[in-house]
Amino acid sequence: MEYFIEPVKSDCEDLLSRFQRTESVRYEEFAAIWRKMDFPSIFYGKMAANEMRAFSRLVMTTAYPYVLPPYNFQIRVGGLYLLYALYNTQLAVPKEKITIALKDWESIMKFQQDAVNSQHYDVCYIFRKLLSDKAVFFAAMPKPLSFQVKRKPKRHLVCEAFRDRPARVKDLITTETLEEISNVQEHYEKVKATITASSGQSDTAISLINKDLGACLQDTVMTYQNWLDEVTGKRTDSGDAADPGEGTSKQGDSSRRAELLASIKSKSYGQLTEASKSRRHRQVEMDMFASETKHTPGVRVRNRMPSLKARTKKNLLNKGNLREEILQATKQWHLSVAEQDKPAKPRDHKRFKYSHPA
Amino acid sequence: MTSVDSFSQKENMAASNTAGCSTPSNDDNDVPTYEYIDINTKPFHFGTFENLWKETLNPKYYSFHDVHQETEDEEFGQEMGIPPETVNELKVICSLDTLRCCPENQPPVTDVVPADPGLMTLRMRKRRQDYKQTLHREFTCRQDLYATELESLGIGKKPLNPEDMLPEGEMTITVNVLFPLIVERFKQVRARQTLQVLMSHKLTQLRDAICCLQDLQVSGEFSNTPDTAPEFISKDLYKSAFFYLEGIFYNDMRYPEASDLSQTIREWAASHNFPTFQTAKMEETTFRDLKIKVGYPYLYCHQGDCEHVVIFTDIRLAHRDDCLDRKLYPLLTYKHRMISRKCAICNLYISRWVTSNDSLAPTDPCLFCEACFRTFHYDPQGNKLGQFLAFPYVDAGAFN
Ligand SMILES: [Zn+2]
Ligand SMILES: [Zn+2]
Repeated sequence: MEYFIEPVKSDCEDLLSRFQRTESVRYEEFAAIWRKMDFPSIFYGKMAANEMRAFSRLVMTTAYPYVLPPYNFQIRVGGLYLLYALYNTQLAVPKEKITIALKDWESIMKFQQDAVNSQHYDVCYIFRKLLSDKAVFFAAMPKPLSFQVKRKPKRHLVCEAFRDRPARVKDLITTETLEEISNVQEHYEKVKATITASSGQSDTAISLINKDLGACLQDTVMTYQNWLDEVTGKRTDSGDAADPGEGTSKQGDSSRRAELLASIKSKSYGQLTEASKSRRHRQVEMDMFASETKHTPGVRVRNRMPSLKARTKKNLLNKGNLREEILQATKQWHLSVAEQDKPAKPRDHKRFKYSHPA
Repeated sequence: MTSVDSFSQKENMAASNTAGCSTPSNDDNDVPTYEYIDINTKPFHFGTFENLWKETLNPKYYSFHDVHQETEDEEFGQEMGIPPETVNELKVICSLDTLRCCPENQPPVTDVVPADPGLMTLRMRKRRQDYKQTLHREFTCRQDLYATELESLGIGKKPLNPEDMLPEGEMTITVNVLFPLIVERFKQVRARQTLQVLMSHKLTQLRDAICCLQDLQVSGEFSNTPDTAPEFISKDLYKSAFFYLEGIFYNDMRYPEASDLSQTIREWAASHNFPTFQTAKMEETTFRDLKIKVGYPYLYCHQGDCEHVVIFTDIRLAHRDDCLDRKLYPLLTYKHRMISRKCAICNLYISRWVTSNDSLAPTDPCLFCEACFRTFHYDPQGNKLGQFLAFPYVDAGAFN
């Protein structure tokens, strides 16, 4: 079943990158792409019941990482929609569940919070629907672990185009750090005051730090943030990315919300340059692939070597007139073959394998 | 800056029980994390882990009962501060109809891969199916069929007696028990059985659920008294066993005649400058008490030297679709099917006897079913014919 991981992953990423191009987090946009790609057919084909179950399970675990960091907000929304859609269209009965690991729960709750804060009601609704439909296993780990040590482990490789661009400055300077800084500052001033009081020196000599450091820092960060918003705002002007939700915006806190939205927006949609770069990269890859397979057009190259026996036989048989003789010779060790049986078709040797009853 | 933050904090407060859930405290190392990615976790305390999930979740999401959709929608509207019309609108926007690709009255043919599929997955499946069709005979894996059968036995099963109902919030643990590698035929396939146990189970309950051929062996030569043979199986004779989990030997000391099998190992370890191992009693330990790694190979040892690798593969809150009859746990969900060896004479029935130094048999040793063994080796009065040694034989397929 493992051989399906790669194609399923690539189908999911195809869907999500189309979703990314819409620059929207609306469910309708997702559903349109889903239908256009005929995604439900991923479950079609003749499969035994247990095969179907195993495949459903594999699809769920493969789609799961997209709702988690390091993916950006928009991709995570797409990932959530994808899980919702896959869960509901799978053909296994009862349905295979989405396994959520405890370690991921915190970030999923934060993600949901972000969606609430920016009033993406469709995201909230679908998240809640999955929970109330009991579509989730609350587990230790996202998949069962059985110590499958492999020479070439198949881990989930993060799709770079979907990665979140970290807002380092914002992460670094929060209200708490500002408060902390002003506290330290205050303390520092007090200590300085006691020193000057005892020694009688003028305090300008040890005035090494800007007096209102906190306010100053805050200003700088705000200016930077505004500039950033302006830049990214220009970039996504064409899309309706900032559309808050189903026509329920309250005019009262619109300015504050706009600010908030802008910060989320910059998190979610500031990917355009990186995305195109990686697409170019993918183009190169495809070109390479094309040139590699050029010499055997239309045929999938198997990179497995033929067995030693097969190669030897081929080498020998290619030597024209030797052919007949060799064929005879190679049969001589078939001691048990009776004379009259000789022209019979080679028998299928697949009779009994001691260890494997399958 | 400050205003934005206090605003979002207010929102956080309001939203913290959206979906009725909060986030677990992250300063705890009993949140399972990978030690090696996709292979095994670091050790964590099962009981604490259970509590962390339960503190975090609204019980209605792991209850075995349906969530009432209308009250759910109502609550959603209230928490989001949106009017019922908007919720209804959302319901339509997010309905499952949006995912359907064919008209409702024309359900798709789901067992055929569509021609010229766009999805990579389907192209792969098509290739595989086309290849399968070129094979001369249909290849159905009996192992898989049997697995489906077993798996479906437990699904959604409800107890006859309501008292046997699994409590909501109970956790199930999946355990793989591998067959010992000392048997030649297990070297290529990692034959295993998979069991589901409950968090509240004692280790001894898992022990009793593990089926191993060595427990059924009967030792001794019985050619003179074939009727007395099946009375002493090894399980009743040698009752000691232990689990070795994260440096602790859990010994089964339920029976007075049981001995501490780990003693030799511990003494050897002590004399070779190993850190000292601890011991505990299997019958006094529940899974809730364990602090171990998920995905990591541990050991079960019984019959003195029959060693099984034991791996805890999964642990999660029980789900509505699980087997809900508490009495059926530990639940066998998978078992490798063994080949049965047939009688050398009739080649029809499963062997019950193995003979040695047998002048009547074509091979040494030779396998016989009960009927053939009796008619061949004894006269109608039950007198032994000829010289031979006879041992009871327990077939690997005995558990199938
Ligand atoms: Zn055993
Ligand atoms: Zn027989």
